Amino acid sequence: MREVAVLGLGMHPWGKFPEKSVTKMCREAVEVALADAGVGWREIDAVAAASSRFSGGKGWGLNGNDVVEEMGSSGIPVYNLSAGCAAGGNAFNIGHTLVASGLHDTVLVVGGEKMPKGFIQTSGVEDVHDPEFLRQRCVGMPGPAFWAMLARRRMAEYGTTPEHFAQIAVKAHKNSVHNVNARFRKEFTIEEVLNSPLVSYPLHLLEICPVSDGAAAVVICSAEAARKRTTNPITVAASTVATARFDDGITRGLGGIVPSGPTHHSEAKQAVLKAFEVAGIGPQDLDLVELQDNTVYYELAFPEEWGLCEPGEAERLVEKGETTPTGKLPINPSGGFQSFGEATTAQGLFQICELGWQLRGEAGERQVPNAKVGLAQTLGLGGNATAAVLKR
Amino acid sequence: MTTRVHAVEGLMTETADGPRLLGSKCGGCSATYFPRDSVCHNPDCDAPAMVDMNFGPTGKIWSCAIQNYQPPAPVITEEPYQPYAMGMVDLDDGLRVLGRIDVDDPMSAQVGGDVELVVGRLGGDADGNDVVTWMFRPI
Ligand SMILES: [Zn+2]
Repeated sequence: MREVAVLGLGMHPWGKFPEKSVTKMCREAVEVALADAGVGWREIDAVAAASSRFSGGKGWGLNGNDVVEEMGSSGIPVYNLSAGCAAGGNAFNIGHTLVASGLHDTVLVVGGEKMPKGFIQTSGVEDVHDPEFLRQRCVGMPGPAFWAMLARRRMAEYGTTPEHFAQIAVKAHKNSVHNVNARFRKEFTIEEVLNSPLVSYPLHLLEICPVSDGAAAVVICSAEAARKRTTNPITVAASTVATARFDDGITRGLGGIVPSGPTHHSEAKQAVLKAFEVAGIGPQDLDLVELQDNTVYYELAFPEEWGLCEPGEAERLVEKGETTPTGKLPINPSGGFQSFGEATTAQGLFQICELGWQLRGEAGERQVPNAKVGLAQTLGLGGNATAAVLKR
Repeated sequence: MTTRVHAVEGLMTETADGPRLLGSKCGGCSATYFPRDSVCHNPDCDAPAMVDMNFGPTGKIWSCAIQNYQPPAPVITEEPYQPYAMGMVDLDDGLRVLGRIDVDDPMSAQVGGDVELVVGRLGGDADGNDVVTWMFRPI
């Protein structure tokens, strides 16, 4: 396998764009990424795309085909990857594999999504064989309530307070003020967060990410080819995919086993730990993390599940400001899902773009000083997760 | 006359001593399943032997939350909407299961609280029936 570099980064701003198709949004992101890479469309050898859940793709998740038709049908291979909210990360993993294996030299990875209003309806089918339908019909537990339940458990275990949760939202929005691609670029105080409507106790509206439209694209190539174009390319130290384990303590349907230990989010943990192993690094080597913060709770749970801090230590890091861009463990300097909103299948590439800008030192006011190694992580329906370690 | 219908048939049975959840347990690896399943999905189970199990009635709340906003269908709610509590409960017989928590004040549901299975009303259907499901009541 050969070393792979991320040569071009492109993003369409996140927001609500009712007048624009997801394919046109992708086009804008792709054009920026191509220009950033200094690569023409005809130099792209293959496309790995996230399959959208809600938009374009001819209703079959064929969003990569939409992009190729939009850019000019050149007959290149297209890979459409479906993995729920982990699809963007999955597409990056396949794109990486195509280049690392030597099968293709220059690959475009793209993800775009336009979201319907309201919180995400994960399955949308009324079928008694569908676990998600059973959960909603018999219990009535939408996604935010599930996150709230995890957050409440943490409060009981570690004494997490409403102020801890709120402080994470405050940090996210403070970062977003400096990000032109963020949808919400406004600072909030802890009081404002705690006074926003309760969605599902203990979580408030400003502690849960809304849905957005967005698109992002990256151009990748061999590190050798990249070094001919730039003196200091961003390289991919690891790109991994994992799925949930049987002994995971998070019930996917109505019920299951009582786990013997704390085995939550096993898909994300496996993807991240594997990424550390492949990259030959440990948590202490990370300069920044872009993790999937559908809710502020994850900024407390994920770092300790991955060994970035001790169990129960995450609250202390938040209190001391260590997760801000200038802290010991900067988390989501982009502003995160909290400030962008979630364009589900595009999020994995949104993260790669932010890591890339941070590692190049192009992140402006939200720059993590001297960032050399960054971790990105996604989590999606079906027990899907991805991780990537980028470095310069 | 109003009759009671289950939110989804085949998930619980009503006994004189409250409802029981219709699930399965693997004799080989002790894995528990709800709803019922005919095969064990544990990748490390080398002697799968599935048996029907009626789970309940008592357990502990692993964690709980409150549904503050009125969720859309297929969740069954009533007008005017009242926030409800729900959570994940570890039943004494080895099933971790989701369910509503049957309390007047949703804030009174607590992590670690002891609960028992009851049948509770979610709402009414178009024919005027009471739609019911399993719930957990603090004991
Ligand atoms: Zn078994």
